Amino acid sequence: MVGVLKKTTGLVGLAVSQNPHERLRILYSKILASLQTIPKDAAYRTYTEQLINDRFDLVKSEPDIEKLERKINCGQIEEVIVQAENELSLSRKMVEWKPWEPLIEEPPTNQWKWPI
Amino acid sequence: MASSLCRFVRGGFSRNFSFVSRSPALVHGRFDSTTTETRPTVRPKDEVTHNQLSAFGEYIAEILPKYVQQVQVTCFNELEVMIHPDGVVPVLLFLRDHTNAQFKNLTDQTAVDIPSRQNRFELVYNLLSLRFNSRIRIKTYTDELTPVDSAVPVHLAANWYEREIWDMYGVFFANHPDLRRILTDYGFEGHPFRKDFPLSGYVEVRYDDEVKRVVAEPVELSQEFRKFDLNSPWEVFPAHRESKDTPKLE
Repeated sequence: MVGVLKKTTGLVGLAVSQNPHERLRILYSKILASLQTIPKDAAYRTYTEQLINDRFDLVKSEPDIEKLERKINCGQIEEVIVQAENELSLSRKMVEWKPWEPLIEEPPTNQWKWPI
Repeated sequence: MASSLCRFVRGGFSRNFSFVSRSPALVHGRFDSTTTETRPTVRPKDEVTHNQLSAFGEYIAEILPKYVQQVQVTCFNELEVMIHPDGVVPVLLFLRDHTNAQFKNLTDQTAVDIPSRQNRFELVYNLLSLRFNSRIRIKTYTDELTPVDSAVPVHLAANWYEREIWDMYGVFFANHPDLRRILTDYGFEGHPFRKDFPLSGYVEVRYDDEVKRVVAEPVELSQEFRKFDLNSPWEVFPAHRESKDTPKLE
């Protein structure tokens, strides 16, 4: 974990993070905690848990930042942190909205028929 | 990666450019076919992209069954997701924030007026994901009086788009920070893009010398409106024939 920090991310407004592994660890565990409140059979929970667990395992196993970035393959580590923050806020809102329930209302007949 | 759901489509669009050079000298008769064979100028069917998009569409439909009514991939490989109007903000937020989606850009937001439907206006949101280089279209519906939740809390770009839809179609957006007219004149009445609004409008303006200002008067056409019947006697869409329901005898 002791390595040379890169000078800049190259992106405006995104500062280089001092301790990305720790930050990602915290964020991923928070996401997994908020996913526990969703029913087990919800597709959002299964897919997101799989995704977050995969990334979490990579973060735990790879101490070098550059190799970790390449393994996750989703841009720079700071961008990965932003993605995790977004996923956290999304999971909290999903708990509120409960989108795994069945369809609210069927569309009226011929609503999506094209050409008319 | 073990999970095949982590999508990254690296510009894998195989485009075939075939230039056929014809010898300019010969106009009549045959020419030597030393160049590559001529192919019809029809876009080749890209099965790979089509399958990837339909897989992603199924993924979205599985995660959000509460709002998603229909998912389709057009023949030009464009993914379209039809949702219930209550689900505008949840679906857009999911597509913006989820790691597998990341559609951060709202490229376009429009409405379509189809008067024959019960909910005549169809709202269309076009999103772009820079991370995964893919686009998606979200469609909802509403009628003249039902308000729709504004997309501004999710995408700030929706601000002026929704003002335009309000001005041109009359679709009201709830929770919009500043919903007022944007393209029509200040005292304009009516919603011009609706299908029942005439091309020339109802009102025309002229400068009146007596009152020394611009006045608005009912429009006066020099030639009466001519409606042409442009239907051809031949069947127009043979692929979309309606199956005649045979009445069942009970």
